[in-house]
Amino acid sequence: MTDKISLGRYYETGSVLHTTDPRVKAVLYLLYLVSIFMLKTGWGLLLAGIVTLVQYIIAKIPPRIVWSTVKPVIPLAAFIFLINLFSIRGGEILFSWHFISFTDEGAYMAVLMALRLMFLILSTSVILTLTTTPLKLSDALESLFAPLKVIKVPVHEMAMMMSIALRFIPTLAIETDKIMKAQMSRGAEYDNGSLINRVKGYITVLVPLFVSSFKRAEELAVAMDARCYRGGEGRTKLNPLKITLRDVAVAVVFAFGAAVPVVVDFLIR
Amino acid sequence: MCNVVEATGVHYTYVSDDGMGNVTRKHALKGADLQVEEGSYVAVLGPNGSGKSTFAKVIDILEVPDEGRVAVFGYDTKDREHFWEIRENCACVFQNPDNQIVGTTVEEDVAFGPENLGVPLPELREVVDDSLKAVGLYDLSRRMTTELSGGQKQKLAIAGALAMRPKILILDEATAMLDPLSREEFLQTVERLRTERNMTVITITHDMTEAQRCEKVFIMEDGLVVRSGTPEEVFSDKEAVMRSGLELPVNCDLVSAVADITGSSIEPSDIKDDLTCSAAISRMLTGLSSDTAVPDVSEPHAAASGKTVLEVSALSYSYDNGQNYAISNMDLDIYEGEVLGIVGKSGCGKTTLITHLNGLMRPQEGDVKLFCGGKTYSTRNRKQLRDIREKVGLVFQYPEYQLFEETVYKDVSYGIRKSGLSDEEKKERVITALEMVGLTSDFLELSPFDLSGGQKRRVAIAGVLVMKPEILVLDEPASGLDPRGKREMISLIKGLRAKGCTIVIVSHNMDEAARICDRICCIRDGRIMAVKTPGELFSDASFTSKTGILRPILYDFSDCVKAELAGHFKGIVFEDTKNNVADEASAIVSCVLRHKGGGHDR
Repeated sequence: MTDKISLGRYYETGSVLHTTDPRVKAVLYLLYLVSIFMLKTGWGLLLAGIVTLVQYIIAKIPPRIVWSTVKPVIPLAAFIFLINLFSIRGGEILFSWHFISFTDEGAYMAVLMALRLMFLILSTSVILTLTTTPLKLSDALESLFAPLKVIKVPVHEMAMMMSIALRFIPTLAIETDKIMKAQMSRGAEYDNGSLINRVKGYITVLVPLFVSSFKRAEELAVAMDARCYRGGEGRTKLNPLKITLRDVAVAVVFAFGAAVPVVVDFLIR
Repeated sequence: MCNVVEATGVHYTYVSDDGMGNVTRKHALKGADLQVEEGSYVAVLGPNGSGKSTFAKVIDILEVPDEGRVAVFGYDTKDREHFWEIRENCACVFQNPDNQIVGTTVEEDVAFGPENLGVPLPELREVVDDSLKAVGLYDLSRRMTTELSGGQKQKLAIAGALAMRPKILILDEATAMLDPLSREEFLQTVERLRTERNMTVITITHDMTEAQRCEKVFIMEDGLVVRSGTPEEVFSDKEAVMRSGLELPVNCDLVSAVADITGSSIEPSDIKDDLTCSAAISRMLTGLSSDTAVPDVSEPHAAASGKTVLEVSALSYSYDNGQNYAISNMDLDIYEGEVLGIVGKSGCGKTTLITHLNGLMRPQEGDVKLFCGGKTYSTRNRKQLRDIREKVGLVFQYPEYQLFEETVYKDVSYGIRKSGLSDEEKKERVITALEMVGLTSDFLELSPFDLSGGQKRRVAIAGVLVMKPEILVLDEPASGLDPRGKREMISLIKGLRAKGCTIVIVSHNMDEAARICDRICCIRDGRIMAVKTPGELFSDASFTSKTGILRPILYDFSDCVKAELAGHFKGIVFEDTKNNVADEASAIVSCVLRHKGGGHDR
């Protein structure tokens, strides 16, 4: 169960990417986000694929982890693929049977959109979640958004909330699994029956999960209080963010990796 | 010596408002007094709801008393000026390790406290590394916190507390969720650090043997401190201890049982430790008159039928495609009408095994077969799973966390909602199930979330019993309960057994397992080491080295007593150790009587 949830899961390998300043990674991530959505040709996508592959090799993430990252997104990708395939009308009809048909443009868009989604997830994972601990990530966001403090945006508090939310994802995933097993022992069935029945079934998981989450939240608040948490004012950091020459080098190389597919894409279009 | 904590007449009331104008008040403290000397090691005992945890919070100013005065380091906790001075110098470790970890990696979490204090960098790194070394987690400093075991998480919590360099360390049931070995390690770590750093340690616990290690004990009851003194002073008055809903530590309990038989009295100095306890027993037995009446040793359980109801054969399971096996090649027969214990360290595969018993997990290799009503069911057969889950009822640890309905009735009847029974029949089944766990039909319309912890657990167990399982599997049914709750849970299990139910019970507490189980199955690293009666299993002195599990305290202490007695009564022959204190006391006294009698004959 916990293997299924990759969002917010960190995987330590000690690679260059792991030790890069999280702010650099956050900015790079934005760059990749934009670049992925600018790609329109097969060659561009292929190049982006190669760049992503190289990123994973640099990050030393084993294929097993990559697969667990991709697996949960496949249904969504398939859904997007089908929607595009059948809804976009234009170009020549490639296939037609009774009222079902699709066109070459639809097929092209379907592949493009599905691949974009996959690259999006893969990039998010390798640049951010797999290589950056949630606490570092929230440090980065706190630092990047620090100027907003001037206009009274509670930047520190928001960063703290985010890192705690991410820290608790695996814990709640384990708990969900436990509750489901307990209810299955009492005859609950989550994998068959009509949609309505299944949704109803999930109530038996959600209610206990909510109750325990509130309890956890309360206890965590007390524990944080006991450890003298009093907001961002006057806090020091064990691992303060510092941009080194190496971070700059990583930034340049990775920015190049984001730019090349886009440039090639534009040139051959 | 001066008092670091001085509380007088402390009142505290929890006020909760449900948002619809219904305000409920719960008086947690009703005028409690307590003094803790600097550098001392004190325990606060008391049943659930007696106000122990609230007291811990009042000391660390996590709550401010409504009435009365709490002074920590000589400063009043109501005094805003010294607020941070007090809180920075007190550190708490709470019960649930998961709910006090803030950081994603081990070192990030330890740093959380000193970061809040604004400790600057080179020093901050030093403090973090020091604290991690002190609890033995330094090698794991970059590990994810979620990957740690329960014992490691709790040590991480101490490291986080130590990093704040506290003068007072408060442990709020910090060992409740640990297995005996991790608990022992945890306590030794705390005790070593206490002497090294001259900390005051206040521990709140349900474990009497743990309280015995302290210098002073406070007993709380209903918001008041009702007794205090050295452990030997407090535990020498059995009646008062029992009246407060607690129990005696095992060694004191045996001394007290022998004293009852021989009509001797107990002085506090008798029950300082295992040695003085043994000496006291020996003293009581030396002047024993030969006409002393010894209560009969209760009959061992009527032997189970010997008919196998559940058969585990060559069962193996791996979570990672065969790289590591959580359980491997397990063979186990469960007999009709027996209570079978399953014991082993945390992470040894107990839970994996029991989730196979009702087909929640299905065998990768091997098989689990159920023989019931002349039919054979196998968890390998997907179509039989529904029947198997009905016949093998599985209650997980902390089952109260699975309640979800608005009323007890709806929750308990969840398991039979599709059974095709009429409403009348369903209601009858629910009431029977509630009665089996010691609740009445008055509970039917209450919300399960309004009940006490122990009651919630019973409702959850009733929710499984309602399906009338042939076999009941319980994972740590007594964990987290206070001594009274534990006693009630044990008698509940015994009652179910008397009704002919076959019970499989997973337990960390060996004394408890010895007391209720007919046979015990020991697991180590995913393999079954032995399936034997408690007597056969624990009388082997090398049990711990073979299985990595501590023996019941009673067995260890009884060996100590017997060694002492053997010095006084040359050539005495003892019986095997019994599985509960009363029987053991009778057995020892009758052995001594027999020895003396034998002496006269010769």
